Amino acid sequence: MTWTDIVFERLRANCLEMVCHVPDSVLAPLIAQAEADSFFTVVPLTREEEGVGVLTGAYLGGRRGLLMMQVSGLGNSVNGLASLAIPYQIPFLMLISQRGELGEFNPAQIAMGRAARPVLDALDIQHFTLRRVEEVAALMDGAIKTAYTARRPAALFLSTEMVGWKREK
Amino acid sequence: MNGVRNQVTGDKAVGNEGQGIRDKGLINRLEATRYLVGRASQALIVAGPGNAKFDLVATGDRPQHFYIWNSLGLAPSIGLGLALAQPEQRVIVLDGDGGTLANPGALVTIARLAPPNLLHIVWDNGQYQLTGGQLTGTATVTDLATMGRGAGFQRVAAVTTMSEFEAGLETWLTKPGPWLVVAKIDDSPAPARPPKDPVWIKLRFMDTVRAK
Repeated sequence: MTWTDIVFERLRANCLEMVCHVPDSVLAPLIAQAEADSFFTVVPLTREEEGVGVLTGAYLGGRRGLLMMQVSGLGNSVNGLASLAIPYQIPFLMLISQRGELGEFNPAQIAMGRAARPVLDALDIQHFTLRRVEEVAALMDGAIKTAYTARRPAALFLSTEMVGWKREK
Repeated sequence: MNGVRNQVTGDKAVGNEGQGIRDKGLINRLEATRYLVGRASQALIVAGPGNAKFDLVATGDRPQHFYIWNSLGLAPSIGLGLALAQPEQRVIVLDGDGGTLANPGALVTIARLAPPNLLHIVWDNGQYQLTGGQLTGTATVTDLATMGRGAGFQRVAAVTTMSEFEAGLETWLTKPGPWLVVAKIDDSPAPARPPKDPVWIKLRFMDTVRAK
């Protein structure tokens, strides 16, 4: 199985049915798979912070979900996490496509890519990094379990070691 | 609409802040909120930061109110997630013009997902009322109803008087949405404050949803 197949299977197994996203080329296959499967409600966002709101509303209504985005979108989401998800104790998974690390060609991706983990640490949001396909299922299950136990978002980074890096054009 | 908007702008722009925009026949937010709660007593209500939630709690604190203490702009997004998760329930978002303008992309996302059970009301007085009355775009050049149509809302209403609000509400609560309603209000201050315990607000709200 590819990493996308495993991620998709674990989303279903953990009932993360509301899939909020701002597209990213690494995430594109997951978005397409979710759109083709009526189990999921796919919510295409204009900006990532919207997803914090949508997933809060979904949780209030008894449904679970995830926010898929490029790491730059984490920067766009910070106040939503700090002012809504954390004080109201709203759990969900953030699946974050890493930029700004191994193999990066775009200078505008470096700073947010490097800041992402310190920002999450400052918010006391737990984060984990997917580096090998063999680890994907366990880390998906574990991060989701932790998020719902802590009643707080948890983040999983898709490293470029595992998914490859964007080719320079 | 233009006449009202320009009238509002004129008062503010020439510096008659003392006079404000009261006594212009515009809607009073508390009065309209009280009417709304009376007509939609079973609805789940998400109230944005600032005066929308202050006037909602002034009508009486109820478990089906979700009060947002910060997060400018996220009230419509929370309403969308809730409306999608609870398609059998009527979901009402009460937000200010400042809140809706802080996250206008939510109008696009709501229009694309189009939950029929969502009513998004914007209390529009053209100002950031809590921070000193600084003007928003809707005081001069911006029209939220037009923005809603442009975003893809098929059901949009703009009202400036209480009688229009009362008449319109019958439609907004019965015809499938999502509805975007832009209600031109005055700048009367809100008298009450909700409990400042986010977790309690959430748990009480979720218990109410589960019991429905």
